Amino acid sequence: MTRWLTQILSGVFVLLLFSPRYALAQGWFEWGTQGSYVHQFAHLLFFAAMVFFIFAMRHEKLQRYRGFLYLIWGCAILAWWNLDSVAGHTLEWGLTNPVILGHGLSERLLMENTETWLYYITKIDHFALLIPAFYLYYRGLKVLAQESQSETP
Amino acid sequence: MTTMPLFPIWFFQVLGSVAVLVFSLLSLRITRRLTARDPENALWLFLDWLTMGFVIFSISHAVSHFLQEIINYYGPSQSLWQLRRVFGGLDSIIYVVIAATTLFFHRIQRLYRRMEADHHHLEETSHEILALNREMEALVMERTMSEMALGMAHGIRNPLHVIGGFSHRLLRKTDPDDPTRAWLSTIAEEARRIEQMVSRFESLAQRKESFFNQEDLNSIVSTTLQLLRPELNAKNITLVTSFHPEPLVGRLNGHLLKVAISHLIRNAVEATRPRGKITVRTLVEKDYAVLTIQDTGKGMPPDVVDKVFVPFYTTKIGGTGLGMVFVRQIVDEHRGVITLDSKVGRGTTVTIRLPYRFAEKVELEEAPQTPPAAEAPPESSGGAV
Repeated sequence: MTRWLTQILSGVFVLLLFSPRYALAQGWFEWGTQGSYVHQFAHLLFFAAMVFFIFAMRHEKLQRYRGFLYLIWGCAILAWWNLDSVAGHTLEWGLTNPVILGHGLSERLLMENTETWLYYITKIDHFALLIPAFYLYYRGLKVLAQESQSETP
Repeated sequence: MTTMPLFPIWFFQVLGSVAVLVFSLLSLRITRRLTARDPENALWLFLDWLTMGFVIFSISHAVSHFLQEIINYYGPSQSLWQLRRVFGGLDSIIYVVIAATTLFFHRIQRLYRRMEADHHHLEETSHEILALNREMEALVMERTMSEMALGMAHGIRNPLHVIGGFSHRLLRKTDPDDPTRAWLSTIAEEARRIEQMVSRFESLAQRKESFFNQEDLNSIVSTTLQLLRPELNAKNITLVTSFHPEPLVGRLNGHLLKVAISHLIRNAVEATRPRGKITVRTLVEKDYAVLTIQDTGKGMPPDVVDKVFVPFYTTKIGGTGLGMVFVRQIVDEHRGVITLDSKVGRGTTVTIRLPYRFAEKVELEEAPQTPPAAEAPPESSGGAV
């Protein structure tokens, strides 16, 4: 079953990669294309799911347990990350001809207006937020595993 | 005009991507271990699925952004653009997968809770059945032992009366100087002692009332109805009671009868529609104390009525099919009879007939207290020892 699924997915991937240009004529991440909307909605759905997960855990009063508390905080940061991403993508795809000065590692972005500033901040956030979110998720699971092991006779 | 370095963006991109990949892989290792240890735990399964989603996300997200930076750095390349779009698409899909898995968690939680509740219910029911079974076993054992003891006492007493009576007669007829007189006196005295022992034993066996006590059926029924009143009120069911004016005292086991009656009333409540009526009556019919429970519920077809007392037969979801079996066993242990009369759409009437003052066999209580040789004068029965 897994092999069969892997073969199909690989096939789809190869087809997409080597497909004629017109098949991908519309960019997925250029504002206004269908792909961009799909991506933004996917982020919003991800955000809603994280909020729902937090709500479900709080509803069950699971925050009393340390492991679940870490999960709640991890999910909260992920929810924030999704909103940050939606804003970041909107700004990124809306930037018209951003001016980049310099070369290589010393490249610098010309801060022409507020949008450029916001783009710069959200771009850093986009990865900076993921680190604590995934750390807390991992930590939550670790605590849950330890607690469940100590419960096992 | 201000310029800002792009280096921090790249730095966080590399650091973030690597950290996310490492943490998600470590998380996957934990969830894999948890699911391997307890494969049927819904929470571990969900967290494993979610973590798998996070691992795919960490890869596709990192690749997608790295490709973007490579394109920015080295300039546009058609195949890199296409590859970036593929990973970007995969990114969008994986967000949806993560969301779907998370939203499904709620359903899983509900199912899991329901399963746990059912599990607890089953455990409780099996404990109750076990306790009831033990009680029934003890009851049957005690009844059998009691009856055996009384039977033995009855069996020993009759020949003893004969031995005692005749030894006294012989004593009266024997000459005072006869050397056999002493032997006869000993026989008469020993017979009397055995007779006293049997009497004590018999009274002890009769007095043993740990399972069957002198109890009033009316009060057992009314106490049970009081306990079940909230269930009747919850369905707005009218309860009509009609008790026999005199107390229906018999040797009953109040606890077991309450179990049986509450089961029957609960069945009636379940079968009766809201604002329906349940009638409970007690009366005396010849030598029987009679209890009837009548409901205005949906009733049962004849084929179901025939199987009501068959073990494990049930029409209820989650039912054990043992309730009515126990009810009949309880009635049987009281030497009673239970009958069911049901008509579809009109309701069911359950009738329990318990022998009035059924307890011990009457002939034992009325066993001859005097020997056949009762005519023997008291002085001689005293014997000389």
